[in-house]
Amino acid sequence: MAKWGMVIDLDKCTGCQACTTACSMENNTLPGESWQDVLFYNAGEYPSAQMKWLPRPCMQCENPSCVHVCPTRATYKDPDAGGIVFVDWNKCIGCKYCMIACPYGVRFYSDEKPLIEPDIRDAYPGENGQLWSPPYQNPEEDWRRGIGIQPKGVVSKCTFCYHKVKHAPEGIADLDEDNPEVKEYVPACVRTCAPKARYFGDLDNPESQVNRLIGDKHGVRLKDHTGNKPQVYYLGAGAGVPAFTPADRENDA
Amino acid sequence: MSSSMKGMTPRTHDNALQGPLGWGLLVIAAVVMVVSLGFGLYQLTTTGHTSFNTSSNLPWGQPIATYLYFALASSGLGLIASLPLVFGFKQYYPVAKRCIFLAFIVLISGMLVLALELGHVFRMLWAIPLNLQVQSAMFWMGVFYALDLLFLLWKFSKLQGGEWDSRTAKQVGIASFIGVLLASGNLALIFGMMSMRPFWFDALLPIYFYFTGVTSGMAALVFFTYLAHGFQRDRMNPALQALLTGAMPKLFAALIGGTLLFITVRAITGLYSNHPEINLVWTDYLFASPLYNAALLLGLLLPFVVMLSASLRNRMDVQVLVACLVFLGLFAERFYFVVGGQVVPLFKGTWEPGLLSYTPSATEWALTLFGWSLCFVLYLLGEKFLTLGDMPRQIAEAPAAGTQAGTA
Repeated sequence: MAKWGMVIDLDKCTGCQACTTACSMENNTLPGESWQDVLFYNAGEYPSAQMKWLPRPCMQCENPSCVHVCPTRATYKDPDAGGIVFVDWNKCIGCKYCMIACPYGVRFYSDEKPLIEPDIRDAYPGENGQLWSPPYQNPEEDWRRGIGIQPKGVVSKCTFCYHKVKHAPEGIADLDEDNPEVKEYVPACVRTCAPKARYFGDLDNPESQVNRLIGDKHGVRLKDHTGNKPQVYYLGAGAGVPAFTPADRENDA
Repeated sequence: MSSSMKGMTPRTHDNALQGPLGWGLLVIAAVVMVVSLGFGLYQLTTTGHTSFNTSSNLPWGQPIATYLYFALASSGLGLIASLPLVFGFKQYYPVAKRCIFLAFIVLISGMLVLALELGHVFRMLWAIPLNLQVQSAMFWMGVFYALDLLFLLWKFSKLQGGEWDSRTAKQVGIASFIGVLLASGNLALIFGMMSMRPFWFDALLPIYFYFTGVTSGMAALVFFTYLAHGFQRDRMNPALQALLTGAMPKLFAALIGGTLLFITVRAITGLYSNHPEINLVWTDYLFASPLYNAALLLGLLLPFVVMLSASLRNRMDVQVLVACLVFLGLFAERFYFVVGGQVVPLFKGTWEPGLLSYTPSATEWALTLFGWSLCFVLYLLGEKFLTLGDMPRQIAEAPAAGTQAGTA
């Protein structure tokens, strides 16, 4: 079975956030529930000030701390699904411990105050147990893997678009949006990326492009000191996160 | 010894709460409980957890802090009860039964507040036991607190039956003591093992929780013991009077001092560290908050200074005041501990440019108020129907001077 991984080349990424939008449309997430986000950072100060950014999906860690803390095994890593970390919405009790334990802040509890008004959940009230029910929905709902629109009181997260990826031919090394045969199976954020900064493939396949890129271009994993071992790698300058400094104290740094 | 004490008539002195005062307080507490629970449930059923001010960036708020406060106060009361029941500090017998009862009801209150905080509380009842995720500290929290509750109930039933020192009572007491240590120690590790939350990450956090738990338990015990006797010492059994003017205030003072020491070393470490996720919590959140500073100074430092004076610490009014201040001070400590671990935004970039802000919503306050009022209701019912002032006859009838011998 494949071990799905993503490579993001920060030298190509323009920070346009098309990935965030595509993810939101594909997975019907709420405003603020950004399974895929682009983070912007200010580092340093004049004359060497920098503005950095990096796209941030779920890292689908090899050693995921969110899985260890979940008291009901609702969060689990599925080796038969390429090592993707899922949330089983039938088991999640909404204790939110996984949100505490995830070093990458990629988990969401949508039963919270709306980011923007009017609340879209009021515009499209939930039906059949869904938190909200917009007119267009991903038809491949799978609550056992946290795919679709979640019910109330559970945690949601990026699934590497498993509802698409699962249809990929067995043994394929890469899911490249430029390959017409597999483009429908490529995660939404990868497929939409205009500068082609994202690559998606099998980390267990020595022939995969993702492995070549990681090896040749010095791929790094963010916050590697946590020991979570993400299956998402970053290339290029800027693959690091500055220490947190409150905005009003940046000049003191 | 074990069989000689069994079956002896328990002794209680005048309990102020078995009269009209008890009924009056019970009505007030019940009204507060019904109103707060009603408001909380109405909010939760109509708007769900959107009525909380927590968010995906700061998922644990005041209801978790309230649960933590109650769970640790319960553990503290259980540990105080183990002084006479496990370790043989006989002068503590006069408060042992009340301690066990309070530990039980305080834990029940905390658990109910936690239940209202969860997304799916009834699912928890089958999903945790059936999935056996032994890697999760939260799984063990369920196991250990369930055992703790069971042993407290068992122990209380023994004391209610007048079995103070039988072999079974001793064994249940030891089991209860171990259960308390495991439950509260494991609760500490839920926070202390989170290396991605450096403000909490601390291998010795269980010790900090034991210590502060006993301090909050002692505050509750002092307050409720005086309340039971209408804040009049002369209504108390001489053995209880001796305890409240001897070993207990000394232990209380030492506990507050130890709590301050723990907070001080955590603060020094945090202020010294360059790590912004620890340092900024102390400089820009905790010490920048007038409420936190007030809680620290008025809720812990002032009580400690007052309790250092031998003449002051034995006075009833001072003890009650100190108990109330420590009660509130440690509640604030729990709140700032839980929130402090989350105020530095985790991996959010400039979407969250400053520290996260969090103020509990009306619904969250309602849950806290429900926890407190439920505690009062259960306590008042206990005082009314369960003779919580029981103690072994030897202790009840011993001359006061005899029971004063030795200190904790």
